[in-house]
Amino acid sequence: MAFFLQNAWLIPLLPLLASAIITLTPIRRQAMASAWLATGLMMVATVLALGLLAAVSGGWALHHGELVQLAAHHSEHGAFAFPEPNVVQRFVWAPTGDTALQMGIYIDGAAAAMLAMVTITSTCIHLFSIGYMAAHPRQSRFFSFIALFTAAMLLMSMADNLLLFFMAWEIMGLCSYLLIGFLYERPSAARAAVKAFITTRIGDVLLLLGIVYLYAQAGGISFGNEEGGIFHPPLLERLASETGALGLSHAAGIALLIFGGTVGKSAQFPLHVWLPDAMEGPTPVSALIHAATMVAAGVFLVARTFPLFAADPTSLGVVAFIGAFTALFAATIALAQFDIKRILAYSTLSQLGFMVAALGVGGWVAAMFHLITHAFFKALLFLGSGSIIHAMEQQPSIQRIHHHDEYAAQQTAQDIRNMGGLRTRLPWTFWTYTAGYLALAGIVPFAGFWSKDEILLDAFKHNLAVYLTLSVAAFLTAVYMTRQWWLVFFGEYRGAHPVVFENPDAPASHAGHGHEDHHHDHDHGEHWHEDPRMIAALVVLASFAVTAGAFNLPFDGPGGHWLASLWGQEAAKLNPLVAGLSLLIALVGIALGWYGYRNAFATAMDTDPLAARAPGLFAVLNAKYRIDELYAATIGRLTTSLATAWSLLDRSVIDRLVDGMGRFTFGLGKVNFIIDDTLLNDGPDGLASGTQGTGRQARRLQTGKAQDYLIYVFSGLLALAVFWLYVIGR
Amino acid sequence: MNLPEYLLPAADGVPWLTLLVLSPLAGIALIGLAWLLKLDERTIKTGVLAWTGVPLLLAGLIWVRFDPNAVASGQAVVQLVERVPWIQAIRVDYFLGVDGLSMPLVLLTAVMTPVAVIASWGVSARVRAHLALLLLLEAAMLGYFVALDFFFFFIFWEFSLVPAFFLIQNWGREQRRYAAFKFFVYTMAGSLGMLLLFQLIYLSVRQAGYPTFDLIALGRLGQGLPVAGVEGNLRDILFAYLEQLGVTNALGRYPLLYSSIAMWAIFIAFAIKLAVWPFHTWLPDAYAEGPTAASILLSAVMSKMGAYGMLRLLLPFTPDAAQYFAPALAALAVIGVVAGAFGALNQVNGDIKRLIGYTSINHMGYVMLAIAGAAAAGEAGVAARASAINGALVQMVAHGLSTGALFYLAGALYERTGRWELSGLGGLRASAPAFAGVMGIALFANLGLPGLAGFVGEFFIFRGAWATLPFFTALAVIGLVVTALALLLMFQRIFLGPATGNPRAIADLRPQEFWTTAPILLLSLLIGVYPAPLMALGNAAAGQLVAIFTRVLG
Repeated sequence: MAFFLQNAWLIPLLPLLASAIITLTPIRRQAMASAWLATGLMMVATVLALGLLAAVSGGWALHHGELVQLAAHHSEHGAFAFPEPNVVQRFVWAPTGDTALQMGIYIDGAAAAMLAMVTITSTCIHLFSIGYMAAHPRQSRFFSFIALFTAAMLLMSMADNLLLFFMAWEIMGLCSYLLIGFLYERPSAARAAVKAFITTRIGDVLLLLGIVYLYAQAGGISFGNEEGGIFHPPLLERLASETGALGLSHAAGIALLIFGGTVGKSAQFPLHVWLPDAMEGPTPVSALIHAATMVAAGVFLVARTFPLFAADPTSLGVVAFIGAFTALFAATIALAQFDIKRILAYSTLSQLGFMVAALGVGGWVAAMFHLITHAFFKALLFLGSGSIIHAMEQQPSIQRIHHHDEYAAQQTAQDIRNMGGLRTRLPWTFWTYTAGYLALAGIVPFAGFWSKDEILLDAFKHNLAVYLTLSVAAFLTAVYMTRQWWLVFFGEYRGAHPVVFENPDAPASHAGHGHEDHHHDHDHGEHWHEDPRMIAALVVLASFAVTAGAFNLPFDGPGGHWLASLWGQEAAKLNPLVAGLSLLIALVGIALGWYGYRNAFATAMDTDPLAARAPGLFAVLNAKYRIDELYAATIGRLTTSLATAWSLLDRSVIDRLVDGMGRFTFGLGKVNFIIDDTLLNDGPDGLASGTQGTGRQARRLQTGKAQDYLIYVFSGLLALAVFWLYVIGR
Repeated sequence: MNLPEYLLPAADGVPWLTLLVLSPLAGIALIGLAWLLKLDERTIKTGVLAWTGVPLLLAGLIWVRFDPNAVASGQAVVQLVERVPWIQAIRVDYFLGVDGLSMPLVLLTAVMTPVAVIASWGVSARVRAHLALLLLLEAAMLGYFVALDFFFFFIFWEFSLVPAFFLIQNWGREQRRYAAFKFFVYTMAGSLGMLLLFQLIYLSVRQAGYPTFDLIALGRLGQGLPVAGVEGNLRDILFAYLEQLGVTNALGRYPLLYSSIAMWAIFIAFAIKLAVWPFHTWLPDAYAEGPTAASILLSAVMSKMGAYGMLRLLLPFTPDAAQYFAPALAALAVIGVVAGAFGALNQVNGDIKRLIGYTSINHMGYVMLAIAGAAAAGEAGVAARASAINGALVQMVAHGLSTGALFYLAGALYERTGRWELSGLGGLRASAPAFAGVMGIALFANLGLPGLAGFVGEFFIFRGAWATLPFFTALAVIGLVVTALALLLMFQRIFLGPATGNPRAIADLRPQEFWTTAPILLLSLLIGVYPAPLMALGNAAAGQLVAIFTRVLG
C-alpha cells in the first residue's frame, strides 16, 4: 500500500515520459513502437492508479512518510467538507516576498477515483488508436500528443493547489489545440483548433482571475481544510460574509469566476460553441476530449473547489441554472443532427449540463458519480462511432465519390443517413455500442441509470425547476439516442447512394464529378472489417458501461455506496418514485424514438420525420439555433473592428501628433538656425548674400540627415546640462 | 573607500562588473584587429559569436558570486560594488553594482546577444560594422544595468541608442530611415525631462549638504531610509530647495506636487522605452524595420531598460507620487495591453514582425501593470506587492527569451520565403515540421502557456496587481485572449491548411537554427516548470522595495 501512496506522482509522469521520448528520440520514426510505448506506459500508470485507489479506499494514508490508517470520515449533515487527504507532498515553487508558493500533489478519494477513471479510459483510447491511426503518417506524433494530454489530466486530478490545477488545465488546452488541429492540412481543422483554444481561453482567464482573487483574499491557493488551506472553515465564513464587487460576497465572486473556467472547458452555454467543432480531430481524440479528460476537467474543477461554492448559495444557483439550461438546450440540438459524432458531441454537452446542475443543487456525489460513469460510456460511444466511421470510410462507394478528398469522404462516412443495417455488418461494434446507448439513455441496470437517477433525486429534493428541466432533457436523450442507434444499425444499408458532403474548402468541380460517378456505378461491393485492437478497447469500456453503476448502488450492504464512502460523503438512498419515474421517462423516450424512426430513411435522401412534421423547428435545431452565426456577427465583427480602430488610432492620431511635434521642433530649430547663421555668423556685412546663404543653409538642413539633427539636439542637451551645473547651480 | 553595509564589494577584489562591461568592447577591438589582418567574414562572424561567450561566462561568474538573500538596513544588498571617485566637481563616482533587480537582466542580456549575432549570419553588407554595433549595444545595455551613478547610468542609457539607431538605419528594410529616426527622437525627447530632473535633484541634495548622483543613496532618501551624512527624505529636500528658489510661492506649497512632477519626468523617459501607451508608436516601426539582430536585442533586452529604470528610480525616488498616480499608470498599462493585443490582431494578414512587435507592447503593458500594482495604495501586504515585482522580472526575462526566438524565426522564415507579409503564405508545416514545431513552442511561450516562463510572469503579475488594482487587472485579461488569437492566427496563416501559398514548400529547420532556438526555449521551459531559482534572485530586492508601499504615503 505504501508503495502506491509514495509513488502516486509517477502516474502523470509515465505518460509525460512517453510523450517526451516519442518527441525527442528517433523512436518517433517507428510508428508502431511509439504507439506501443505510449500504450504500455499508460497501462503501467493504470496499474499504479488502481493500486492507489485500493490503498485510498482502504483508508491508508501517508503522514510524514509513515503509513497510517485514517479514521473513517463521517460527514455531518449540513456543511460540505472534504475528508482528510491520504497523500500530500509539497515543495517550494516560488518565493513571494515574505511568503512562498508551494506546489505538490494532494490525493484523496476524489483524486484517486479520477486517476483510476482517466487511466482506464485513456488506456482504452490508446489501444483503440493503435488500430485507428495505423494508416496515418503522423501516428507517432498523435501518440505523443494524447500521452501528453493524459498526463496533464492526471496531473490536474492530483494537483494540490489551484495554480498547478490551472497549469495542467491549460496544457490540456494546448493538447486539444494540437489534436483538434491534428489533420492540419484541412482548413476546417485549423479553424476548429483555434476556435477551441480561444473559446476555452475566455473561460480560462476568468478562472485565472478567480484564482488571483482567492489568492489575494486567502493569502494562499492550496487545497486543504487546515489553516492556510482554502477550505479552512473560518476563511470560508469570512469570504461568505464580506462583500466584494457588484454586491456579491467574496466567496460568490471567486466561485463565479472559477465557474467561468468550467463554462469554457466543459462547454456549457454560452461558451459551448467550440465543442461540436472539435469533432474535426481524429475520432479517438473526440473520445479523449469528450469523455476522459478535457470536459470532465471543468466539472472536476467545481467539485474540487466545492466548499467555495457551498459557502454562498448565490453561486450555486447560477451553476444549477447554467447546467440545467445546457442539459436541455444541447439535447434539443442533438435531435436534429445527422453527423454521428456531432450527435454524441451535443449529448456530451447535455450530460455535462447534468453534472453541473447536480453540483448546483448540492449533489456533489451524484455529479462525480455521473462524471465517472459518463466517462466510460461516452468514451465507448465515441470509439464505437470511430469504429463505424473507420469501416464506412473503407466502403468503395464512398471512396469512389471522394477519390482525392479525404476530408469530404470522412464527412460523408459520418452521416447517419448513409448508414443503416450495420447490426450484422459490424456485430462487435453493435453490441458494445448498444451497451453504451442503454447506459446513456438511462436503462436499468446500465451505469448511466444509477448516476443519472442520483442526479435527478438530488434535483428533486432541492430544486424542482431543475428536476423538471433535467427530466425533459433525459427524455430527449432517450429519443435522440434511439434515433441514432436505429438509423445506424437497423434498416437497410443506405451507403451505396449516400448523401454526399460538399467540401466548401475544396475546388468546386470535385463533388459534382463524384456524384456522377456513383450514379453510373452500382455494382461495387461492400467490405466490412473490425480491427481487433479497436474491439478490445470497446469490450473493456462496454463492461464498465454495464457495471459501473455498481460503484455506488443506492442500497446499504456490500458494494452499496462505495464511492460515497470513498469520498467521505453522505450516501443517497434509493427513492422508488424518482427512480421509477426516470426509468419511465427513458422507456417512453426510447419508444417514441423507435416509433418515429422505425420506417424513416428508406433511402439516404429521405426527409427526417421530424423535419417533415415541423420543418421550421427542425431547421433551427439543425442550425444549432444559429449561435455560431450570432457570435460571428457580433463578437467576431466587434473584435475585427476594434483591431482596425486601434491601428487607426495609432496611425492617425498618435503618430500624427508625434510627427507634428517633430515638425514643430524642427521648425523651431530651423528658425533658430537661420537666425544664428545669418545674424551671428555671417554678420551684417554679408546681409545681401546672406539671404541666398540662408536658403542654402535651410536646404542643407531640410535634406533630412537625421544624424545631424540628433547631433544638434544631443549637443544642445549637453550644453544645457553643463550650463545648469556650473553656471546656474553655483 | 568606506562603504555602508548595504554596499558590498567583491570578496575576491576582482572588478567583475567592469570586466563585464568592457568585454564586448574588447570584442570590437578584436574585430578591428581582424580587419587589419584581413580575415574573411565568416571567420569574423564565428569569432564574434565565440567572443559573446565571454560576457556570458562573466555574467555566469557574477551570478555565482551573487547572494540573492542578502538584506541590510532596509534594502537588498548591492553586491560586487566598484566605486571610484570620477568627477570631483560634481561628485560623480564610477559606481557599479548588481542587486536582485538587475541580476536577471544582466543574465538576459548576456544570453540574448549570441542569438542576435547568429541572427546576423545572413548579413552580407558591412558585416564588421554590424557585428561591432551589436557588441557596442551589448556593452551599453550591460553598463546601464550595472551603473549606479546617474551620470554613468544616463550615459549608458543614451549611448545604447546610438548602435540601435545605426543598426536600424543601415541594415533595416524600406522604411528604415523613418523608423530609426522616430525611435531616436522619441527616446531622446523622453529623457530630456529626466535629465533636467536630475540637475534639480543634484542641486537639492547639494543644498542639503550631500551632493551626489548616487542612485542607491538617492533611492534610500526617497524611501526615507537612513543615509549617512544627510537628514530627511528626498521629497522634503526637493521641496526645501524649491522653496528657497521661490518656486513654491508660484505653484503652491504641496510637496506631493513636486514629487509628482519628478515622477512624471522619470516615468515618461522610461515609459517610452517600455513602449507604454501612448508612447508606443515607435516600437512597431523600429522592430519591424530593423534587421533581425536589432529586432531581437531591442525587443528582448532594450525594452526592459525602461522597466528596470522604473524599478531603480521611479519607485524608490518618488514613492508617494507613484502610489498616488498608480491607478493612472495602471490605466495606461491596461490601454497598452489592449492596444497591443488588438494591434497584433490587425496584423494577422499583414507583417509578421509588426505583429510580434505589437505583442511586445501588450506584454510590456503587463510589466507596467505590475509596477503600478506594487505601488498602489491598498491593504495588500508585502507578499502581494513583491509577487507583482517578481512577476514583472520573470515576465521581462520570459518575454526576452520568447520574443527573441520569435524574431529570430521570423527572420529565418523570411530568408526562405522572401516575404514579411503573412497573407499569401500557408501550409508550410508539411514541408517544415520541425520549423513549425519550434516556432509553435516560441509562440506558446509568448502567449503565456503554463509550463513555459511567460505564464509564471503573468500569473504573479496578476496575483500581485489584483490585490491593489482588481479593476484594471480584470480588464487586462482581455489582452491574454486577443494576443493568443493573434499569435495562433499568425501560425495558422504560415503553417496550416493546404500548401497552396507561395512558396509551397520551404527548407526545414537547419541544425544551426535549432541549436540557436533550442537553448532559449529550454530556458523558458525550465523557468516555467521551476521558477524558484530565477524568482529567488529578485525576491529579496522586491520585498524590500515594496515595503514602503504598504503604508499610506503622500
